[in-house]
Amino acid sequence: MQLDRRKVLGLGGLGTITALMPSCASALPEPDVSAAGFGQDARGTVRLWCRAATVAGVRQTVEAFNASQDRLTVEVTPVLDAQYVTKLATAIRGGNVPDIVDIDDINSMLFIYRDSFTDLTPVISQLDFADRLNPGQAELAVRGGRNYGVPYIADNSALYYNAELFERAGLDPVQSTADFDGLLDAARAIGGLGEGTYGWSLDANAAGILGFVVQPHLWAADAPNIVGEVGSQRGSIADNDAVRRTFEFYRTLWKEGLMPPGNFAADGARWGADFREGTIGLFPANFSLAVLNASPEMQAKTGVVLLPGPDGGRATFAGGDNLCIPRGAGNASGAWEFAKFALDLPQQTQLPAGGYIPVRSDAATPEYREQFPLATVSLDDIDAAYAPVTLAYNLLFNQPDSPWIASFRRAVFDDDLEGALADGQEDFDRILEQAQL
Amino acid sequence: MSAPGRAPVTAPTDAPVVTRSTGSGHDLTHPPRTGLLLTLPALAFVAVFVLVPLLFAVYMSFTNWPLIGSYEFIGFDNYAAIASDPVFWKSVGYTVLYTAIVTVPILVLGYVLAVVVRSNRRGSTLFRTVFFLPYVIGLTTLSFLMVLEAQPGSGAVNIVLKALGITDGTSAWLADGPLATGLICVMIVWAVSGLTMVLLMGGMQGISRDVYESAEIDGATWWQRERSITIPMLRPTIAMSLVISVIGSLLAFTQFYVLTRGGPSTDTQTVVMYVYQRGFVQLQLGAASALSIVLVVVIGLVTAVQFRLLREKD
Amino acid sequence: MTTSTTPTTTALGPATARRRTPHVGTAPGRPRAESRTKITLYVLGGVLATLVFLVPLVWSVLRSFQPNDAIVATTPSWSALTQFTTENFRALFTGDADIVRAVGNSLVVAVGTAVLTAVLATLAGYGFGRFGFRGRNTLFGLIVVTMMVPFQAIITPLYLQMNAMGLTDSRLGLVLFYSTVNLPFGVFVMRNAFESIPTEIEDAAHVDGAGTMRTLVSVLRPLLLPGMATSALYAFLAAWTEFLGALTFLTDDRLYTLPLSLVNLQAGAYGAVNFGYLVAGAVVAMVPCVVLYVALQRFYVAGLASGAVKG
Repeated sequence: MQLDRRKVLGLGGLGTITALMPSCASALPEPDVSAAGFGQDARGTVRLWCRAATVAGVRQTVEAFNASQDRLTVEVTPVLDAQYVTKLATAIRGGNVPDIVDIDDINSMLFIYRDSFTDLTPVISQLDFADRLNPGQAELAVRGGRNYGVPYIADNSALYYNAELFERAGLDPVQSTADFDGLLDAARAIGGLGEGTYGWSLDANAAGILGFVVQPHLWAADAPNIVGEVGSQRGSIADNDAVRRTFEFYRTLWKEGLMPPGNFAADGARWGADFREGTIGLFPANFSLAVLNASPEMQAKTGVVLLPGPDGGRATFAGGDNLCIPRGAGNASGAWEFAKFALDLPQQTQLPAGGYIPVRSDAATPEYREQFPLATVSLDDIDAAYAPVTLAYNLLFNQPDSPWIASFRRAVFDDDLEGALADGQEDFDRILEQAQL
Repeated sequence: MSAPGRAPVTAPTDAPVVTRSTGSGHDLTHPPRTGLLLTLPALAFVAVFVLVPLLFAVYMSFTNWPLIGSYEFIGFDNYAAIASDPVFWKSVGYTVLYTAIVTVPILVLGYVLAVVVRSNRRGSTLFRTVFFLPYVIGLTTLSFLMVLEAQPGSGAVNIVLKALGITDGTSAWLADGPLATGLICVMIVWAVSGLTMVLLMGGMQGISRDVYESAEIDGATWWQRERSITIPMLRPTIAMSLVISVIGSLLAFTQFYVLTRGGPSTDTQTVVMYVYQRGFVQLQLGAASALSIVLVVVIGLVTAVQFRLLREKD
Repeated sequence: MTTSTTPTTTALGPATARRRTPHVGTAPGRPRAESRTKITLYVLGGVLATLVFLVPLVWSVLRSFQPNDAIVATTPSWSALTQFTTENFRALFTGDADIVRAVGNSLVVAVGTAVLTAVLATLAGYGFGRFGFRGRNTLFGLIVVTMMVPFQAIITPLYLQMNAMGLTDSRLGLVLFYSTVNLPFGVFVMRNAFESIPTEIEDAAHVDGAGTMRTLVSVLRPLLLPGMATSALYAFLAAWTEFLGALTFLTDDRLYTLPLSLVNLQAGAYGAVNFGYLVAGAVVAMVPCVVLYVALQRFYVAGLASGAVKG
């Protein structure tokens, strides 16, 4: 009697496991994007997942879309940024996927590499502005020459400066920001103005921010910190002169007191507060932080350039979100119809009102330039946008225990440049290897 | 059969079992089969929601399951990799250190609080209410409150320290490994000692007055009375309290997740946090499962050892 | 004649407890002088400890009524500390955070868990505490072992399993999971509760012709209510503050429980955290726990004093 019951329970357990097996192995079916009428006259509901950080802007677009026609209804589910990859992965594993995902572009390749997203090349090529899309973002969704996602909103890093402080220091912002020497001179001059002004500000205890604003210095010098093809990459830290000089640059800024002391522990919770108060000369950040949340007086004296390399060049982080359609989506056609709407000029040109930048360079119309003068620099130089295509971006840069932030802080605050570079190289290699298993 | 005021609950569990509960003489009112049936719903829940996933986890630990995409069997590779995983061992060291730091203070403070509260003087119920209050609020909520108070400059911790002149009030408690650990330890001792207090209190109240009286007549001081009467008689209670406390500390997760996310770098990463990282962030379920299984086994061993050690001295 | 039940598990209340357990460790009729030192120590120690335990909580409540700027000011001033506003709560309840819905979800889940745990634990406690059947101790041990398995070990396989069962993204799924996790403690408590009930009552009911369920429901229930209350209350507390399970099993943000909202408030892309909202949210989370505890504290304390000790 006893044993029978136990056996039943045991068998039940095995049975459950066996039942779960089929759902585990194969990839979900891919929607047919080449079918006639794909992306037109679709009906029904479209389930959209967006990052919690972008939900305000996304909801606006969704409402506009729902109002513009009555065949499709888009439902938005915001997902916490930190949980996004896991939740999407478990949803795919469980066979219960949304129709379209607004995903942080640096995470796109994680899923594309494992055949989880739909090949959208045919329908993207049908867009007449396809060649004007942000190449850095688009590249993050390309594999084997095929596009598995389309850029949607851009979040680019740039160097914002306080024009008034520059004037008082008697310097020209564009010239001063051409290379590291110029930046140091400007920072010193502005720091020397006294009254609690600092030349530079950076939240140095926030992993994501360090990846966002420090890396472009490397790309402007054409010396990225990850090299190789996706699947067989390794780090380039110890052998990378640009990394060394960038760390040294920040080390100098910190040692000479050109950054506020609070930067040491600042974790991003109050990012940009000091720049918006007008006490900082140079502030690498994004549009939302530096401009959108600033007072009109502050905005009037703000200028922006892209981030320079040690000896020149300009680059910006091709951040933002891509739109991708997971395999196994129920309403892929409706999803693409929404995507096209989201990429239309009326929607794109209004993105800066929500803190984001358009992903198409032709959004910089005269009206746009007038409305958002500080949001044009990354569009005019859209080819300078870059982001590393890798499976391990999250682990290498965005986590509190990532090697990028560890190396940075060690070099800058602990004054151990060599150790930082050596360990950084080791950790980058180890993580890339583990991620590529 | 028992003296008035002495509750059965303080009897050590290896004392003769109260025969009532075996039902041997009550077959008619307590047919064994009914008993089994009564326990089945609970057992079913445990089987479905804990044991089956656990078995599944064992299965997964022998694969390189990456959550997205296909997987394959890799035998014991995950387990072998654990031995040479520096991050794992660092988290083990940290967790053990953390447990070592907080266990004794929790017990001692709980004991002291129990002494204060057991006297049943006026106000002792009020005290008891207050001392247990933080525990009832829960570690999750307390951690969220602490996030604010640990902020440099504006947090209460810094305000107080600055007012006392100990620091200049700008310490970033959560951005530094040792500082964050210290802060978390203080918070935990503060929140969990109430639990120990209640556990011990129950035991203390069951000890008969007579025993104390004779000791006093023999001239024993308060501390001598505690040491030779209260503590030995509370052995099982203390044992239980320690077991609960140690398991809780070894499995600590919530407060670390909310306050430091295991940072800076991996300086405040406990073992369970590391398992979470491997599984949820690095999406390597196979490796995370192997780690989990090892953890379960180790906890079991530690608990067994604890029980043995704390019983033997009789 | 009967087993002397611990004072705290009867329905008689603290006053009775006091009468039955007089001053521990002292004999009556001690010289006054010593008592006074003891009393001074007691009062001093007690008051100090009370401050240590209460002040942080009261402080946090006060903070929740301050504007965010005052809370995060890097050089706090006394004037900043006296600002008073209900803005934080207002924003939480009417703004995007939608705390009302989160509180509602949490209530549903926590109450559901409490009830289900109490029921399952009572049944199992009866079985384990009163009936003798082969393998009883093993099975009881099995339930207890659950306590030592960390969530994180099983949460992903459990997700896949619950997905297959259609229980993800549902509050019911959460209730089922939380109940399971709270069973070990509940069964402990109920088993002890049953063991302290004199068998004569059941025998009498049996003689009157009542079956097991009838006995349980009509006859024993009043005696069991304290134990059930204890199991229910601790299950409520655990379910109310749990967040990792909720984070994993829930995707639809309309189902979010309160701890998830707090995690949401604490995180955010690159910051822009409003600490005022976070504190207010935490205070909202605190309130039901404190209220329940103060009103029903007898059951919190009793359960631990009698339940956990029996090894």
